Amino acid sequence: MQPANTLIEFSLRKPKTVTVLMVLITLLLGALIAKVHVDTDPENMLSKDEFVRVFHDQTKMEFNLHDVVVLGIVNEHDPDGVFNPATLKKIDTLSKYAATLSDPDNPDRRVVDRDIIAPDNVDNIQQAGIGQVRFEWLMKEPPTTRKQALRIRDDALNNPLLRGTLVSEDGRALAIYLPITSKDFAHTVSSRLKQKIAEIGTGEDQFYITGLPVAEDTFGKEMFIQMAICAPLAMVMIFLLMLIFFRKLQLIVSPLIIAMCTVISTMGLLIGTGNTLHIMSSMIPIFIMPIAVVDSIHILSEFFDEYQNRLDRRATIVHVMGHLFKPMLFTSLTSSAGFASLAFTPIPPVQAFGIFVAIGIMLAWLLTIIFIPAYIMLMKESSLNNFGVSKHVSVRAEKSPINRHLRWIGTTAIRMPWLVIGFNIAVMVVGVIGILMIQVNDNPVKWFKKTHEIRVADKVLNAHFGGTYEAYLILEGKNIAMTPQKAADWLTSYLDQRLAESPAIREKVLNEILEATVTTTSEQELTNALTKAWENELDQTAADDDIGYDRWSTALDALDRLRNQKEIFKRPDMLNYISGLQAFMNKQGDVGKSNSISDVTKKVHQELFAGDPAHFSIPETVNGVAQTLISYQNSHKPDDLWHLVTPDYTRANIWLQLKSGDNKDMERVVKDVERYLTDHPAPVQLGHNWAGLTYINVVWQEKMVTGMLKSFLSSFVVVFIMMTVLFRSAIWGALAMIPLTFTIGIIYGVIGLIGKDYDMPVAVLSSLTLGLAVDFAIHFLQRTRMTMARTGDWTAAVTDMFEEPARAIFRNIIVISVGFTPLLFAPLIPYQTVGIFLAAIMLYSGLTTLWILPAILTVIQKWIFKKEIKAHAQERQALNSNSRKNHA
Amino acid sequence: MHKLLILLSSLIALTVLYCPVQAKQIDVESIVNRANLAAYYAGDDGRATVNMTITDSQGRERKREFVLLRKDKIDGGEQFFFVYFKKPSDVRKMVFMVHKHINTDDDRWLYLPALDLVKRIAASDKRTSFVGSNYLYEDVSGRGINEDTHELIETTNEFYVVRNTPKNPNTVEFSSYTVWIDKTTFLPMKTLYIDKNNKEYRLVEALEVQKFNTLPTVTISKATDLSSGSSTRVEFSAVRYDIGLKENIFSERYLRRPPREVRK
Repeated sequence: MQPANTLIEFSLRKPKTVTVLMVLITLLLGALIAKVHVDTDPENMLSKDEFVRVFHDQTKMEFNLHDVVVLGIVNEHDPDGVFNPATLKKIDTLSKYAATLSDPDNPDRRVVDRDIIAPDNVDNIQQAGIGQVRFEWLMKEPPTTRKQALRIRDDALNNPLLRGTLVSEDGRALAIYLPITSKDFAHTVSSRLKQKIAEIGTGEDQFYITGLPVAEDTFGKEMFIQMAICAPLAMVMIFLLMLIFFRKLQLIVSPLIIAMCTVISTMGLLIGTGNTLHIMSSMIPIFIMPIAVVDSIHILSEFFDEYQNRLDRRATIVHVMGHLFKPMLFTSLTSSAGFASLAFTPIPPVQAFGIFVAIGIMLAWLLTIIFIPAYIMLMKESSLNNFGVSKHVSVRAEKSPINRHLRWIGTTAIRMPWLVIGFNIAVMVVGVIGILMIQVNDNPVKWFKKTHEIRVADKVLNAHFGGTYEAYLILEGKNIAMTPQKAADWLTSYLDQRLAESPAIREKVLNEILEATVTTTSEQELTNALTKAWENELDQTAADDDIGYDRWSTALDALDRLRNQKEIFKRPDMLNYISGLQAFMNKQGDVGKSNSISDVTKKVHQELFAGDPAHFSIPETVNGVAQTLISYQNSHKPDDLWHLVTPDYTRANIWLQLKSGDNKDMERVVKDVERYLTDHPAPVQLGHNWAGLTYINVVWQEKMVTGMLKSFLSSFVVVFIMMTVLFRSAIWGALAMIPLTFTIGIIYGVIGLIGKDYDMPVAVLSSLTLGLAVDFAIHFLQRTRMTMARTGDWTAAVTDMFEEPARAIFRNIIVISVGFTPLLFAPLIPYQTVGIFLAAIMLYSGLTTLWILPAILTVIQKWIFKKEIKAHAQERQALNSNSRKNHA
Repeated sequence: MHKLLILLSSLIALTVLYCPVQAKQIDVESIVNRANLAAYYAGDDGRATVNMTITDSQGRERKREFVLLRKDKIDGGEQFFFVYFKKPSDVRKMVFMVHKHINTDDDRWLYLPALDLVKRIAASDKRTSFVGSNYLYEDVSGRGINEDTHELIETTNEFYVVRNTPKNPNTVEFSSYTVWIDKTTFLPMKTLYIDKNNKEYRLVEALEVQKFNTLPTVTISKATDLSSGSSTRVEFSAVRYDIGLKENIFSERYLRRPPREVRK
């Protein structure tokens, strides 16, 4: 430990230089924080070139889809719900207002006015007197009478595209869907709408705003408030607790300075190296702070207990650092390794998080080593006068409740080791059962407390409507290309009969098909060549030759039919297949509503036939479908069709509205669809893919879970190897892993047992557990070995252990678990989760360290301390024989 | 006939020479009237083959081909339109027919051969898309000149620039539109629409003009949605005027069996 001594020596000799240097570097790095770029987009949990993201973006572009803010309006008082003139007037005002929303600094961030789904902006096809259909805005202007208002309700309810989407099934509530060009505009839209609502007055109406983009964007905004409030508050709590333990204000400021410098420098480094401040990285301070103070508390705790024995700060420091340096280095290294292993997860923000927490931990270690001694040296010796235990009595005599309990733990561990071991194994078994019950799930909306307006809105709106969570199922035909020969065969068989009455034309046509098969190499070439030839024939047909005109038209028809075979989503069998799939999905319960090209076709078909419900069906022929759809395009918003199918009819989009954004629910939908597509093969072989925010969340979650598991297992191995090196013994290494293993087992077991979802913060906490639990074990084992080497008597060693080392561990447990209680009051669930589990991890890992390790050591003492016992036995023997000699 | 023409033109020339002041101050109503006649009432009847290309904001194209037959009952008054679809083939033989009236709603029919269905379409709102293109029904049959107030805002070397404001703003999606009318042909060469938030959002342009039977005719035209970037280009070919179309072909009976005139 030569360099260590040099380092400590240096800071003892030049405390001022050390301090100034530290402050300067911190300020320098801290300045970089100003460059901060916030990114609250969970999509960025996946790297930009991840298939699902590329596909999601491509789908959004291809089908002109946008992320959506949902504004729901509910009226529980009016007998007609929101369908009364006053409320509809408000809705009209809000929709028109929303259409104008854009970012003045960046016009590309805006509400996509043309795609707003609102009564004044959706077109409706309906009956307009006998034999007439009409395309009309659902609500051209706000109604003035009850009758008109109810008419709007009924029209919307009669339109399968609007029912459950725009209007609730019970006809009492209405939802406006505001597409936005950029997700990070959602919070602005939401707050401006709230202002406008306040302006026009709510009256009896309730207004709710929700949608994933709002949740995600709002989370980002609130995240900052959390960082600004909770982190400093946690700091204050830690400070107060330390004050209670060490009573010397001047001294305990030092760990706080270290924590602050570490946090500022690490964040500066993170931002300075071009990383964004993401939901994950916003938690870095909260993770670093406890770890940063842990080492200082170990030093101070020892210093506190030791100082009065020496009354020389320099000597005390040298003594304390002498036996803490190695465990501190190793605890820091192992914690670092635990977090650094996150760099191997496939999730960029988690990688950044892991790497920078790891850097922060090493930085905290370095600062602790150099700054704490320097700080103590800078204090006046006189100010330490009454520091620590004031009486010159053995610390052992102290009878505070802490000491009594610690001793009790120590006594049970050595008196009834098997009971302790057995009990912990039993707990572990329960833990494993709990782990097996763990449910992997996340939902950005659930990052807010139940009482948060977003959660409330989410609940109310999803009770009324088909669902505010969106996913897109994209279908496309596979292997639909034809060879020229196959195309020619099809043409021949199609035209053979149809041209039978005009043998001359028939022969010409069939010959030309035959020729084209030889001269062309693709289906497209073949159809193009024939089209050219036959259009020419048609042009040359005499004006009064009705039959000739008909025959050549038929021939050209055949070519188009052939071409249209690629346009599979005009085919009645395919549209019926989609309807079947939708019916199946709706029946499974997770999908509240789905919209597709089939729904449009059926609705228009029905209205073309006088609104007859029997015609709410897919027309029987491709041309029937095509003509139905071209009729639909005579509306105000013909392009609405292209949200559901591409203009070349080769790809279709089924727009799903889910009632829940829980990943597990989305996963179930995906599985259901897989099953249906396998069990019910489509008339044309189909390929399918998913897009939509709800689905993206599922993908990154899957990656996170497997990634975290892998990273945890690998860091487990790395830490074990490090422990083995540290203790120069695999058995001691294995012992060091025991508290950690038990802590993980019980913590994650509890998560499974209480039904808490395994989500992002929970996953990340496993790394923290690894870091903290192994810390305690190292300190405990290292000290045990040192004491054993000194005393050679296990019982005496254990008694020793349950004095200052145990107190240091205990103080750490208390400081950190209580220190983070402010997190429990955060309105954001991930922060609460971190707070609760941080406390639980500290508590349990401390407990297992102090409880199981001595119990196990008691059981295996003869074997594991063979060397020490033997050495001391020899010593005693030597001593005895010496005294006997003396006697003699 | 020839003499009559010479007489007429010299008469016009005389008017121009003798009343230079009035000529410059041609009032806006007559500009709008003449533009309406030039754009929608050329000849007594006419036919054209129309190739339509709809290009969306992503550059994806859709094509339509149809034959347009028109017959005027009175210039500037009632007229008939018959639109017979040829392409894409799945809508072949589909027909859209309009009886345009001046003071009442038009009558509109749609014939869907694959469904064997003749359907009347209520014409209370004419500002709906024409078969999914960027043209509206009102562009096809013309907006009634009495529906707007007109204001000549500028006279350039080439154009009369007329701003039109709807008399009943609730029935339309624009707040006004400005038309650049060619001073010699009186064809509207450019029309720019302003929405209710005072933003330009729609542009219809004449890109090519040719003369058929001495009648200047727009042969290429383009309508652009300025906010989405999608556009529709139409090209008129085989344009013929005064071909003697009979009134009875613009009847329901001919929807199912189109007249021969649609073929060429």
